[in-house]
Amino acid sequence: MSITLDFNGKNIAKGKELALHFLPAKINGDGEANVDHYFNNYTREATEFGSGILTNALRGYPLMGEKLKVPEGYRGLVLQETEKPISYSSDRQLRLTGVFQDFTFWNYDKVPSNGDPYRQALFQADVAQALAQPITEDDLEAEIARNKENANDSP
Amino acid sequence: MSDQEDLVVKKENKSIDNIDENDEESNDKDFKDRGKISSLAALGPFIASKENSRNTIYLSDVPDVCKDKPCMLGVDEAGRGPVLGPMVYGISYCPLESKKPLEDLGCADSKQLTEEKRDIIFNDINTKDYATSCIGWAVEIISPSTISTSMYRRSKCSLNEVSMDSAMGLIQQAIDAGVNIAEVYVDTVGPPEKYQEKLLKRFPSFKITVAKKADSTYPIVSAASICAKVTRDHALKVWKFPEGLVIKDNAFGSGYPGDPVTKRFLAEHIDLVFGFPRLVRFSWSTAENALADKAYDMEFDEPDSEKAKFAGTKLTKFFKGTTKSGEVIREECRFFKQRHLGNVMDF
Repeated sequence: MSITLDFNGKNIAKGKELALHFLPAKINGDGEANVDHYFNNYTREATEFGSGILTNALRGYPLMGEKLKVPEGYRGLVLQETEKPISYSSDRQLRLTGVFQDFTFWNYDKVPSNGDPYRQALFQADVAQALAQPITEDDLEAEIARNKENANDSP
Repeated sequence: MSDQEDLVVKKENKSIDNIDENDEESNDKDFKDRGKISSLAALGPFIASKENSRNTIYLSDVPDVCKDKPCMLGVDEAGRGPVLGPMVYGISYCPLESKKPLEDLGCADSKQLTEEKRDIIFNDINTKDYATSCIGWAVEIISPSTISTSMYRRSKCSLNEVSMDSAMGLIQQAIDAGVNIAEVYVDTVGPPEKYQEKLLKRFPSFKITVAKKADSTYPIVSAASICAKVTRDHALKVWKFPEGLVIKDNAFGSGYPGDPVTKRFLAEHIDLVFGFPRLVRFSWSTAENALADKAYDMEFDEPDSEKAKFAGTKLTKFFKGTTKSGEVIREECRFFKQRHLGNVMDF
């Protein structure tokens, strides 16, 4: 099985910018939604909870959210599979339907904070970065020298 | 003169279009100039000028005599049961000695009044000298959106709590506006004792009476009831859907779940994703059931379970490390687990 990302990396910058919402609910349905009329025009700023905090509701459930940027060095892409694979082992093809630099993150009745699963998950990006960073001979020697110095300082 | 006024009232009752016509008349000029409701005709435009997904509070001018003389204050609500539209809390007050004007207005038993009669009394309260000189009133329009979100909060806030908060808020506003309150009469559908206790705690210096059907016993509660009911009726009449729906004459029935017109409105205006327009109280079982049947399923992050977690390690945990064939099951690394990350092989 192979998965093909069917777009040219150079074209990402030209992709359609999308306005996206990250919702604290799973909607078991697929199709178009009248987001502007049923949702966007009810978004209000709630500065009493902090700057940039937004409120809205989804089917009567209170939401609190904020606009978030995609982490630095990353791009947000939305990919779509137009044809479902026939079997588990068949090849698959994903197309680019749009790109995003930011999106609105919504919590169910909680002010967004570092405790949110989304922000927690993003810590992994820093760890991955640290793990993937190549280390040169010079870096190593500098580190050893620093350690020695520290050891000498403390009795 | 009074006949002429009745005519205006009737005309306005017919449809929203007529309210719009009245808009241009001098009747609501006062509202436009000062944001004040000086007659029935100004009520609709006032409500329409406010955002209908939020609560709105309106206070009439306080008659001077209410600042000096000890007053009675009545509290009542309208639109508690319906699945559509706002719930409205109303208060009205007048000096203890001003029983006569209340009688003249016809504030006897609001339940027996027709919509037309209520409109006339409301208009009189705001236009007749004998009334405006000694009777003041205030309403809070609690939006259907606020009702839903309050009841669906993580720590649920019941409709009773929403109601009491609104009632106490309005009384406080009256105090802040300078009304010299001595006695408070409240209509309630629930058990009066608890409500009375709560009110006394907050306002210990008033004589407070909470009773069922107080609106038929106390004329001042009846007046409050009329203000609330007329406001609720007009709020529905001038309702504009931010969702862009247009419904002829805003004919969605009484809002009571049993009303066939309301039933049809609910059945015909389901959005697969968002459910209903926010005129509807999502937290009503009628609305919930309709969505469970017809809209997409939606699963929310449920509130954190309050069940206490088992303290300490279970002894059996130590036997769980391998499968029957002897394969070692590795637990996921804590770093990833805490960050809600897992391995994904297919997607």
